[in-house]
Amino acid sequence: MQKESGHAEYDVLVVGGGIAGQEAALNMGSMGYQVLLVEKDLSMGGKMLQLSKVFPTLDCAACIATPKVSETARHPNITIFTNSEMKDLSREENGSFSGILVKSPRYIDEHACTGCQDCEEACPVIVRDQYQYNLVGRKAAYIPFSIASPRVAAIDIDNCILCGACERACPADAVDFRQEKEEMPVRVKTVIIATGFRLFDPTVIERYNYRKLRNVITSMQMERQLVPTRPYNNVLRPGDGKMPDNIAYLLCTGSRDETLGNPICSQVCCMYSIKQAQLVLGALPMADVTIYYIDIRAFGKGFEEFYRQTFDMGVEFVKGKVAEIDGEEDGDLILKYEDVETSTIKEARHDMVVLSVGILANRDPENLFTGGELDIDEYGYVRQPAQLSSPASTSMEGVFVAGTASAPMDIPDSISSAGAAAAEAAGYLRKGMMK
Amino acid sequence: MIWMSTITTGWGVISMARIDHTFASRIEMFGGIDFTACYNCGHCTAVCPLVEENASFPRRMLRYTILGMEEDIQSSLDPWLCYYCGDCSETCPRQSNPGEIMMSLRRYLTSVYDWTGFSRRFYTSRKWEFGSIAAVAAVVVLLFALFLRPTADPSGLINADGGVKINSFVEGMSSETFVSVIEIGDWVMAAIVSFFLLSNIFNMYLKVVVRNRKVSPPLSLYVKEAWNLVYHFATQIKLSKCSDRTYWGLHWLLMSGYTIMFTMIVLFLPWFQVEKIHPIYHPQRFLGYYATFGLLLGLIVWSVQRIRKSGEKHRYSHSTDWLFLVMLFLTTLTGILVHIFRISGMVPQTYYTFVIHLAILVPMLVVEVPFSKWSHLAYRPFATYFYNLINSARMLEEKKKK
Repeated sequence: MQKESGHAEYDVLVVGGGIAGQEAALNMGSMGYQVLLVEKDLSMGGKMLQLSKVFPTLDCAACIATPKVSETARHPNITIFTNSEMKDLSREENGSFSGILVKSPRYIDEHACTGCQDCEEACPVIVRDQYQYNLVGRKAAYIPFSIASPRVAAIDIDNCILCGACERACPADAVDFRQEKEEMPVRVKTVIIATGFRLFDPTVIERYNYRKLRNVITSMQMERQLVPTRPYNNVLRPGDGKMPDNIAYLLCTGSRDETLGNPICSQVCCMYSIKQAQLVLGALPMADVTIYYIDIRAFGKGFEEFYRQTFDMGVEFVKGKVAEIDGEEDGDLILKYEDVETSTIKEARHDMVVLSVGILANRDPENLFTGGELDIDEYGYVRQPAQLSSPASTSMEGVFVAGTASAPMDIPDSISSAGAAAAEAAGYLRKGMMK
Repeated sequence: MIWMSTITTGWGVISMARIDHTFASRIEMFGGIDFTACYNCGHCTAVCPLVEENASFPRRMLRYTILGMEEDIQSSLDPWLCYYCGDCSETCPRQSNPGEIMMSLRRYLTSVYDWTGFSRRFYTSRKWEFGSIAAVAAVVVLLFALFLRPTADPSGLINADGGVKINSFVEGMSSETFVSVIEIGDWVMAAIVSFFLLSNIFNMYLKVVVRNRKVSPPLSLYVKEAWNLVYHFATQIKLSKCSDRTYWGLHWLLMSGYTIMFTMIVLFLPWFQVEKIHPIYHPQRFLGYYATFGLLLGLIVWSVQRIRKSGEKHRYSHSTDWLFLVMLFLTTLTGILVHIFRISGMVPQTYYTFVIHLAILVPMLVVEVPFSKWSHLAYRPFATYFYNLINSARMLEEKKKK
């Protein structure tokens, strides 16, 4: 698709390869438009690919997400760049956008690598595995995770000691330390932003002692312990490997809290915690699960029934925001809270605490366009100036937003939003772009 | 008015309280700010270093305020058991200032205990606030102008040591008579202040112990728990439970200085206000200096903190908070000036500053001790006394049941 100016040309640029980005790309591709999909991470799939099951249907997340990833990867009209980012996007006179696609080196020849993992075996460096949310280690030469797409190794050059063991072990001669950052000019007619969200980092709440107390984990760490590809092959507390039998969930960790700069509801924490509680009861039938909440927000289709069902299964719900987590010598944890229903101050002992961390805006879209033309709302999400009449449109004509780049939302809503973004982008292209 | 009724439903008997939404706006006049943002999570109560098993605040008080459950607030001791550490406001996820609502409820309760209705006007109207202070000050000045005019001949008012004879200003009045006149004035003032304050405390007792009707403590318990009054008045030990203990130290310094000064002026005036200027090591002088130091340090630090709005405790200032600081500061300042002028032998300056000193001190005590912020010197120890009384009575009743 190279043109005389040296720009690679596409109809639409989709920024972000999570569930929303894939959905938008697939819709555009199926309508016949040429799609450029740019993903910052080593693999497609985003956060959904890391989840165990989805609420309230308890469908296996990977069973929905993996076929979608494959479909996107194999679609004839979609070109995917992983480990890549867009920079210097700016509008040209005719209304299209030009920018630079920056592809970071993974020090592996993507086409040669067979995903055999011999390099992983040979690599002597062990670091924390970010795809298992630091629960276990990985090598510096590694395949991100088992269902990664592309299933191609990468060298973590920041931690690599350049010993060359992977290079010697690789049967396909795919390791290439000479790779450099590649930059290529790109021109697109329209842009869909699907950059997703960040998870709240609970270390900023000092009273919760996250990272100091090893049996205090985040909900994403718990989620990883509940997936089929889980790191311990069981639910264990990280401090000493004990099988927990009294687990607490602390809702609204990092959400609805002015002191943390995030006063809004994250929309998903109540439901994913309730879902995890059900899964924990399945994995550890003897365990007690207590959920500490401010309000249970079970507002979606089938949510209230799911919540009632969880309640009937014996999960305890306590109204009260926990103020402090302290550690005992045996690794157990003491929670201090006010039981709001009886108006008494209480302390509770649990052997594992899960912080149901909230959703924060991904700040990347702020710098996507030169000149800061894209409006960002007060919480850092892409502003939707006409949320009701045209939910995907942004402050820039021809730029659309999909999924959690616009606001916190759950998976079904993200997918719907991506469909809307694709439809609006297609309409924009059919109309002949900017007037 | 709140009325309670019960209805029987499938879930059992449910008590219903009628809500009074006008109450919250009334509390705003006493200083409450942004408190309706509260979403009732209980974080404030859980971080509070002062809550105990039978005293769970501030969330419940905030809830009562929003719902307008006036009688439950009036019969509660919780506002007095809170010492405004500020942890609750600092960490409140809604930033609804629970610490400030407790402060506002203390102001409100002061006005509720006061049967004259003056306190409510004082807290909610600037005109009444400044008007009443000015009126009492005018009475003091008038009394001096009418009965204690200075002599036309200032000679003979200087001591051998060069200092001013403070008790010989009035022509034809001996030094002893002058001291007695001032002393009588002191006692009259103390009687007025005590009458109102004690009757207000009795009103408090009726609301929190008698009408509350949860328990009826036997007489022996009243005596047994009385040590609380002295102990908590003298130490303010509960304040030291806050994470910032320097505040308690400063408060104790100021409070002890103030108490020493007050005791010397009211109970030992003939010993305190003498013609002769004592040598520096005399207890009359070094106690005075200690008191002055304590008062000044506390007042300067707190004024600076209130101006800078540093920390939750000083973020919001009601006009009565400022009046309290300014009046006490001016009292201390004029007191220091009287002392300096005396030592330097400046006769007219000593006299007029002395009159101004009293014209600030008297209204401060008469108005603020029974009706405003100063009243906490009594309500705080009494609240702890009543709280321990009720708890002991409850334990006694439970023991009897067994």
